[in-house]
Amino acid sequence: MIKVVIVGGGSAGWMCAAGLVAVLPRSHYQVTLIESDEIGTVGVGEATLPALKDFNDLLGIDESNFMRETRATFKLGIEFRDWDLPGDRYVHPFGSFGQLWGGIEFQHHWMRARQRGLNPDRFEAYSCAIRACQRNAFEFPDSQFTRSTHYAYAYHFDATLYADYLRRWAIGRGVQRMEGQVTEVALHPESGNIATLTLKSGARIEGDLFIDCTGFRSLLLGQTLGSEWQDWSHWLPCDRALAVPCERSGDLTPYTRSTAQTGGWIWRIPLQHRTGNGYVFSSRFISEEDARETLLRQLDGRALAEPKLLRFRAGRRVHAWQRNCVGIGLASGFLEPLESTSIFLIQRAIQDLLRLMPVTGAADLADRRLSDEFNRGSDALYDRIRDFLILHYVANRRSGQPLWDHVRAQELPPSLRHKMRLFEVRGHVPYYKDGFFSRDSWLAVLFGQGLRPAAYDRMADGVPLAQLDAGMRELLDRIHAHVEQMRPHSEVIENYCSDVPAARQVASL
Amino acid sequence: MTAGAPREVILVGRDAPVWLAACVLQQALGTAGVKITVVELPSRLQAADVYATLPALEPLHTRLRIEESKLIGVTRGAFTLGKRFVDTSGSAPAFFHAYGSHGARIEQKEFLPCWLRARKLGLQVGLEDFCLTAAAAKQGRMLVPDSQIEAHGFTDYAYHLSAIAYSALLKFIALKRGVAAHQAREARAVLHADGAIAGVELEGDRRIDGDFFLDATGEEGQLLSALAVQRASWRDHFVADRVLAAHGASIHPVPVYSEVRAWADGWVALYPTQMSTHICVAYSSAFLSDETALQAAARVAGTALHGAAVRACEPGRRAVAWERNCVAIGQAACVFDPVHSVDLQAVQVGLVHLLHLFPVQADYGVERAEYNQNIRSAFERIRDFQCAHYLLNRFGNSSFWTRAREQVLSPELTHKIATFRARGDVAYYEDETFMIDDWQALLIGHGVIPESYDPAVERTSPEVTQRELGRLLSFIRAKVEEQPSHSDYLQTVCATTPRA
Repeated sequence: MIKVVIVGGGSAGWMCAAGLVAVLPRSHYQVTLIESDEIGTVGVGEATLPALKDFNDLLGIDESNFMRETRATFKLGIEFRDWDLPGDRYVHPFGSFGQLWGGIEFQHHWMRARQRGLNPDRFEAYSCAIRACQRNAFEFPDSQFTRSTHYAYAYHFDATLYADYLRRWAIGRGVQRMEGQVTEVALHPESGNIATLTLKSGARIEGDLFIDCTGFRSLLLGQTLGSEWQDWSHWLPCDRALAVPCERSGDLTPYTRSTAQTGGWIWRIPLQHRTGNGYVFSSRFISEEDARETLLRQLDGRALAEPKLLRFRAGRRVHAWQRNCVGIGLASGFLEPLESTSIFLIQRAIQDLLRLMPVTGAADLADRRLSDEFNRGSDALYDRIRDFLILHYVANRRSGQPLWDHVRAQELPPSLRHKMRLFEVRGHVPYYKDGFFSRDSWLAVLFGQGLRPAAYDRMADGVPLAQLDAGMRELLDRIHAHVEQMRPHSEVIENYCSDVPAARQVASL
Repeated sequence: MTAGAPREVILVGRDAPVWLAACVLQQALGTAGVKITVVELPSRLQAADVYATLPALEPLHTRLRIEESKLIGVTRGAFTLGKRFVDTSGSAPAFFHAYGSHGARIEQKEFLPCWLRARKLGLQVGLEDFCLTAAAAKQGRMLVPDSQIEAHGFTDYAYHLSAIAYSALLKFIALKRGVAAHQAREARAVLHADGAIAGVELEGDRRIDGDFFLDATGEEGQLLSALAVQRASWRDHFVADRVLAAHGASIHPVPVYSEVRAWADGWVALYPTQMSTHICVAYSSAFLSDETALQAAARVAGTALHGAAVRACEPGRRAVAWERNCVAIGQAACVFDPVHSVDLQAVQVGLVHLLHLFPVQADYGVERAEYNQNIRSAFERIRDFQCAHYLLNRFGNSSFWTRAREQVLSPELTHKIATFRARGDVAYYEDETFMIDDWQALLIGHGVIPESYDPAVERTSPEVTQRELGRLLSFIRAKVEEQPSHSDYLQTVCATTPRA
């Protein structure tokens, strides 16, 4: 029997506990989670990525039930406002742009159509998901969709309710929950592995594998084992967030909104019962007071609480798995939630851990061969997401604003500089075997932030111009017809997962 | 496209690499106004040379509109579903590396851990017995996918092609499609003042100018050498420095796989075609003379050999494959060890990457950087696959194989083998040519049995696992019986085309 001890009970802790009991054989693993009611979790509204559906499916969670319990809504993308210049808007959709002709990616055909005077619509018009966002429409995707109408969806939900939901789910399936604060961590004298935790109550908990979900404190991985911190705050200087819920107003948008500000950016996440808002800012460039005032001024409904302050720092632990301890969530790294990656990073870490989980009878539960592979995947993921986030801060014309001027003056990671050059020269976007983000995501942000390729892939010339013209028109018609059939997002929510669908329906008769 | 993008592309080289490059570039860029000209140097091919291809070639041919019936009909080649590796000392069992997946998921779990667990519980059936492609190959049958097979898993195939016949076919196609060509005994790069290539001088005072060049001249990489690109030796990774090619008697019926037989001083590969069996022998001059090698090879191959030709093999990679306005393709960019016969695959990898980065303006430094990085990692991952084959051999007391076990490994391969040994998980990198199933076949085949496996499979009851494994074996048996014999299949395919 392997005893797995998870410390910390926010989204990371409970997602991890649920993932482990859902997948591992209970005859071989015992999962304990220690959490303290005295320690608050970050728990603000959360916007997610489409991969979360895979995680819930792995658990066998019923979607409509989960959405009802967490007051969730659907999400087809993120709208970015004012990022390049004031008044600009673009959507990073969870879906494709256009289609391939002759094996050549769509952006090259679009560029060619423009250069050859075919007057194509704007690039974003060729995305089904973007059009749905613009019309506040939603429909469940069909697995039969062709590339031109392909999209996926994610959720907005209350992360605290999600953790509660998973807590009940996991405890019902054998996870042992312990209330208490860890006050002491004892290492094995010879191996240096973590051996025992002591709680405030004096209780001692032994374990074989420890999972650090203690958030920024990184109690086990950082404080105890001293896993080195790699700082990225010169590229991503935001180090605070003020979060505040407000009353729901207006249409229920099927997207997260991110509006650029002089000192950072403001998120807006629509839930069923309220709207989550927050200002992610850099304390070097704006005071907390100014940030609070700006945030409250921009709410589209009455504030439901006092803004809550969070502190953080961009970067990651060099070794997310060290000895017999795996850091998951903020304990292993932090990237601001600009592209809704927090829960995704937790999910990926859990999936990788499951793949590489130490087994009973293993000679060494801190097998370097397994942790090396875990860390290799984690490094690649963090690095690529980091590049994607920095792109938003450097590809823009917000000059004269100190935060933005500062980031644009930084020497970029060579990997990002190279990607941007490849796009500017020829519309080329990176492809990773299994990394993040996808080509379509890069396209959305590269185009959205105002970059334009100077030329297109010459292989696109293989498609006869008349055929391209007809193809582009037909594509647009197909996307329009497709979105036409979707329902209003609020209607789908009401029918599918709202608390009060029946009552409202009766009242509206 | 903006001003200054290359329009006149000169391909200098010989044999299949230069003509495959010509076909690919003409097809992809001809409509963009790019003019393709080949300067053809004298062939270096011997009658016994063979291209034992990998599965990726077939989709490339489809894209180039090269019909399979014509390919097989004209070259009198054969299909192959994989390779069988035999240790003639008997110190390790023979195994199959087939171009298809192993087993199928059981209760949504990957097959390999299910097999590992069943093995721990006493299962005696080998991994390759769960590979439909390998099972068909062993029975001398081609595998023609139907909807059941497609739902079951992945299967693919490749070819054995006489190198001379295949090169001639590609040349014929390229010329027919409008590629201009010049024959020359020698070609010498002429440089601009800025160091880029201006053109090539041929004997007889001919000069062909262009703005972009492909070097497919072979291992000496004439154009890249003129640009002073250094070559890094891979000698530390590979023992064999001699390669012998010969013809052996044809085998009837024609096997639908190749066989690689390790003997004390190297290995002998048998690549059957409809005309003969091409024999490829790799050994080290440190331990064996060419004459003794020929005798030993005949003995190991079990056939009289004729038309033998020996050449030196010095594996190594150019520091960059793309320098200034010249891209090296094939051996000009990288000389691989002969195991797994990856030469044509390397040509293809080079061309496919080039297409997606073909310059669109006069300054293409960023494309060049991307290309060199991609090609480097693609070639190194291919090298890893080859290295693993030598490193993991279990041949007994032999200078050749002992040295092979002591070769230098890349950090990536070290990590890959370690992870597989620990967990049965293939650490998969960017730009890999060989797929996870290939790695599993190779590593398991060489006896790397993982110490543990994904614990999630323990949730499936042993009875369910046993039943599913039995069902898979029955499915494979039944499906193989439905398949046409390789000979019949060859006949059907060839019947659809007139003989050249």
